[in-house]
Amino acid sequence: MSAMRRVFVHFVLIMFLFMPFASVLGAVEAQDEPAENNDPLDIWSTDYVDDYYPWGGDDAAQFKEYHTYFTMKDRMQHLAQNNRNIMTFHEGLNGGENARGQITTANTYEGWFYNHRSPWVKITVNPQGGECNDFVGDCGNYAERPDVLLVGNHHAREWMSYEVPMMFLEMVAHYYGKAGVDNDGDGLIDEDPYGDADGDGIIDDDGDCLSLNASYQDSNGDGTPCGPGDQGVDEDISEQWITDLVNTREIYLVPMLNVDGNRYDREVYCGENAWETCPTSGWRKNLRDNTFDDLGPLPDMFEEVDEDCDGVDLNRNYQYEWGVPLGATMPVVPGTCSPQGGLDGTNNDVYTGPHDTNDDDGDGLLNEDHVDGVDDDQDGLVDEDWLGGNSEPETKFIQDLTEMNDDNGDGGSEFKLVFNWHSFSNLILYPWGHCTDCQTPDHEFIVYHGDEMAVMTNYENIQSSDLYPTTGDFCDWHYGVYNSYCYTMEIGGSDDGFHPHPDKIDHIATLNMGPTFYMVEVADDPAFRAVFGLGMDEIQWMQSPVNITIPEEGDIPVELCLHPNFPLSNDVNRSHVMYRQVTPTRMQNDYGPTEWKEIQPWAMTGFEETTIRCELLDGSNGTTVIANIPVPETSVGEIHYRAMLGTTNGAFPINYPALGEEPGDYYVMSLPYRAGFGSSLLALFMFVIVAGVVWGGLAFTLREMFSGDDEEEENNQTEIVEQEMTKSRSADNFSSMTVAQLRAELSERGLPTSGTKVVLIDRLKGA
Amino acid sequence: MAGDTFGGRMGLIFATIGAAIGTGNIWRFPRMVGANGGGSFLVPWLIFLFVWSVPLVIAEFAIGKRARTGTVGAFRIFAGKRFAWMGLWTAWISTAIGFYYGVVTGWCLKYFSAAASGGLAQGVDTTLVWNEFLQNPSQVILFQFLAVAITMAAIWKGAKAIEKVNVILMISLFILLFSALFLSILMDAQDGTLDGFVYMFSIQPEYLLQPQTWISGLSQSAWSCSAGMGMAITYAVYMRKDEDTTLNAATMCLANNSISIIAGLTVMMAIFSVVQDPLSAVSGGSSAITFLVLPEVFAQAPGGPGVQLAMVAMFFLALSFAALTSMISTVELCVRNFVDHGVDRSVAVGFTGAALCVFGLPSAALWILMDDSTGVAFPQFLEVQDHIWGYGLMFSGLFIAFSIWKYGWNRYQVWQDENDIEGFHWQDYLDHGVSSFRDDFINTGDNDWWIGKWWDYIMYLGFPIMFTVLMGSYFIDLLLNVDSPWDPTNPKGITIVLLFWGITATIFIFMNRWLVDRPLYRNVPEGAEVPIDTLPGGDDDMILTLGEVWTGGDLDAPRSESSVLNAELA
Repeated sequence: MSAMRRVFVHFVLIMFLFMPFASVLGAVEAQDEPAENNDPLDIWSTDYVDDYYPWGGDDAAQFKEYHTYFTMKDRMQHLAQNNRNIMTFHEGLNGGENARGQITTANTYEGWFYNHRSPWVKITVNPQGGECNDFVGDCGNYAERPDVLLVGNHHAREWMSYEVPMMFLEMVAHYYGKAGVDNDGDGLIDEDPYGDADGDGIIDDDGDCLSLNASYQDSNGDGTPCGPGDQGVDEDISEQWITDLVNTREIYLVPMLNVDGNRYDREVYCGENAWETCPTSGWRKNLRDNTFDDLGPLPDMFEEVDEDCDGVDLNRNYQYEWGVPLGATMPVVPGTCSPQGGLDGTNNDVYTGPHDTNDDDGDGLLNEDHVDGVDDDQDGLVDEDWLGGNSEPETKFIQDLTEMNDDNGDGGSEFKLVFNWHSFSNLILYPWGHCTDCQTPDHEFIVYHGDEMAVMTNYENIQSSDLYPTTGDFCDWHYGVYNSYCYTMEIGGSDDGFHPHPDKIDHIATLNMGPTFYMVEVADDPAFRAVFGLGMDEIQWMQSPVNITIPEEGDIPVELCLHPNFPLSNDVNRSHVMYRQVTPTRMQNDYGPTEWKEIQPWAMTGFEETTIRCELLDGSNGTTVIANIPVPETSVGEIHYRAMLGTTNGAFPINYPALGEEPGDYYVMSLPYRAGFGSSLLALFMFVIVAGVVWGGLAFTLREMFSGDDEEEENNQTEIVEQEMTKSRSADNFSSMTVAQLRAELSERGLPTSGTKVVLIDRLKGA
Repeated sequence: MAGDTFGGRMGLIFATIGAAIGTGNIWRFPRMVGANGGGSFLVPWLIFLFVWSVPLVIAEFAIGKRARTGTVGAFRIFAGKRFAWMGLWTAWISTAIGFYYGVVTGWCLKYFSAAASGGLAQGVDTTLVWNEFLQNPSQVILFQFLAVAITMAAIWKGAKAIEKVNVILMISLFILLFSALFLSILMDAQDGTLDGFVYMFSIQPEYLLQPQTWISGLSQSAWSCSAGMGMAITYAVYMRKDEDTTLNAATMCLANNSISIIAGLTVMMAIFSVVQDPLSAVSGGSSAITFLVLPEVFAQAPGGPGVQLAMVAMFFLALSFAALTSMISTVELCVRNFVDHGVDRSVAVGFTGAALCVFGLPSAALWILMDDSTGVAFPQFLEVQDHIWGYGLMFSGLFIAFSIWKYGWNRYQVWQDENDIEGFHWQDYLDHGVSSFRDDFINTGDNDWWIGKWWDYIMYLGFPIMFTVLMGSYFIDLLLNVDSPWDPTNPKGITIVLLFWGITATIFIFMNRWLVDRPLYRNVPEGAEVPIDTLPGGDDDMILTLGEVWTGGDLDAPRSESSVLNAELA
């Protein structure tokens, strides 16, 4: 039967080729055909229709039931074992002296209660090679591979937030190195990648879901037929693409950050069947013992977990703008957990963790400069003595991983992009979270990537603080401190809750693969990707030679009109105008084209920012930046120039003129001679000399040549002298005399020209 | 049959000036001035006129006047039988240049006809005109043939006709150029300054410090006067006995440079008055300036369309005349060698003319490419020809110097034998060897000017140094500025040049024996008989005077080694 089906599919495909003719010949027949394909099994393999994944494994590996911490860790180790060429398994960090001078050990990163370190996998090709990092405990650090950090399960009860990364891990492990896999069994290969690949507004790029009978079109039951996550939508992606991503990225995948909290939620707070017991509730925080505190009034050494008070919301425990903004969620009285500072027994689910009690910079002042990128105390140091945050083993793990995984040693973060999963609300959140009515400097670009992911998921892309303002969250810290683009996925809808029914795990996880791979893909240079995606590079322009006004003297300014939001890097190595000077060779062939010679090899000059407005190619307002090309006034020939614009965290330059637009990919500006031509008086003087020598000389030779009269006179005189000389001695005398002697004697006797002398000498010597 | 001579001094002067003045004065000189810092260029240019061009032309005249044969015979007589191939090389270089020079002359004629018919009026896209012309082989070939035909007609009848044509063309050229210069001055003065004039005569000291400027000055001087080309040897054949070689040489070179200045001023002032960026326009590839920029510039002359048309037409007519007179000397150089070896003049002219037409065809129509960066067409085959043979000219000059050195050495040895002196003595060599060429052939009684020792220094020391510098700089330039210069298929590389030179020289050396096995007829005018038996190749019984008949045997029968030896001993 299946062979028959395949033959039929091919037939349909061939018919498809003839569609243009068919529409002319017989539109009626063509209309009838889709009715045949109304059943999923007519198109796809049984495995695909049954949501059976090719990597096999138990029900948890098949996403038919939830992993526990233990089964998840086992599975991670199993996959790492079997895919040693692309992944290594880790737990927490080794520790050592961290970026802020603190000494840590592996124990530093263990959860307070169950004493687990967060398990994670490093994914990149040849993870044993490259540089090794003793603090982090990984190898496979390559300067040229962009790093990306993906973190699940900050919040214990949000179980899908570790299932999604696990599915990502399964896919990478299974599909790496394969190519041309027919994922859905329809006989086609790689025909429907994530999102709306062909840009026609329909994300079912191959149209197979849409060809189903309507009753099959909403397989995930979200109410959207052939929407994201439905069978037949984004179902057959390129394995080569996955392979390429693994080969060119370092992926740090932390599926379950909050192991303590997750175990407590599953084992104590909600129980195994949490979707029944805790559909919209559960344990959120970690298991910090808030009443066990030197300063606290109620030391209870023996308690297990005080559900009314213990735990810190890990996603409020990052240091950027920690505890500062709206809806303060930190304890007013240190050592207590209640928002009101009292002991009223209400649990504070968004507890930020305790105030910092260290004089972090050792200057005798406490908490005088919190982490906000501003030098609050104006002492020349930024963010050196913080109010709090980063107090938990799990957040220390993230913070130290970020700060110590510094492949290039520049003190920044290698992660140009970080990502974390939460649930639920079907949202994509981007910074800021700590302020309302505010935007990040990269707002337009960050929104762009969020929108791309929204297309793949039908989730709503909004600014984090538009959901509710937060403090000390993961994304604000990464973006605020390290300018890493950061997204928070709120997986699942309200009917899914924190613990969706196990039947939904596979569907929800599948739906979230698109954004995950997308994040990995754009992690190389998210700003550049956004600039390109938005077509911003195409509306920006650089002055072409005809539009450049060359000043009478000094540098030649070349203007670029940039989008006001373009994230121009000030690093001259990334953003600059390259220029060189060529001049016609002095030895030109008389008949060929002009031959050029480079007299000033390619050099670079940076940009000056201005407030001058300019018009972008789409008519909107842009900002002008100027590069000054230094050229001596006396130069002539051509200037070749091109611009390379680096984005602030850029891996790729944007070229003007665009590659392929001009021969050689540079503009050619002809360079006039700008210096003076010289002084008229001196020129006249020189002219007199040159003309005197050449024209005067010519006149002289011509006169010599045609002075026949003089010749007669000379001849007479010559005869007289000859007679005088022959009289005085015999002919033998002359032949023994040298020519010079004869000349001297003739001169004494007053013969005027040398020519006559020669004649006479000849005659005398010959005589 | 008496020897063929020019009718008078004027005739010789005009013929030699016509040969020396070519397109190089009108389109190469202004470019060199532009590229080498204006007045700064004039300094080496002027110095090398007296250090290179004049001495070499003096030597050529002296050789030609004594040998009374074309280049092959001249080397046979002056350097000895084994070196007749050097004359062949000299003749070949000139002829090979003539192959494409005929095409270039055709271009000039075409542009004159286009200008005269109003095709180069103001507003015409000169690039389009040029591209359309060059990419139309039938047009290019038509004008090439026309140029060759005019040349043939001029030299068919020999010296007297050459003289007449040259006198007419040269006088016209002077008038045309002066008129153009006058208009140029008007143009440049329109804005109240003569900046073209000022630039051309302003010395920029930094350029004087650059070796490139000096090398450019030397090369311009070397080519522009046609020194070393063998042309002066050829025309000296037609000299009367009492003609002054020194004075003629100086006159010819000075006249050449005078025209350069006039043409240079005309071009510079016109371009500076009109073009926004004159220096770039002037220093670019030079057929570009002549055929693209100048028509545009001259079409903007003051005085309305009539004057503008006259200006453009005048300029290209002058250019055509300059090219034609050079073409005449080139062809005559070749024809003379045939006539020397007993070929009837009209046969030689017909044969040479046919060769010029046929071998010029590839230069006219092959490899017409487009320069992508400027959109201007150019003839690559022609360019490659120029690349290969242009510097071959330098060897012709070297060979002339060589024959002088050889003559000096022979004379020194003869003197030593006569005086029974053994071993080598510098002072004797200087007195009786080095100066002997000058004493025997230059400072003859017919000269108005006595040439001093300085000439010996230039020939023996200066010339080899200048030759080495020029050649060295050429090859270094190729090495540095040409991609893969050693690739033999690179038409702009070094290998292709060396290959062609090597093959040509090898063939000629092999042809040498065959060449000296035939009688050579010297063109000795009445009253100009001078003995040549003291010369290295002078005692050859196969060297006859025109009118004599070879009686030594069957020319077609191969002669044995011993008979050659006998002939040499005789």
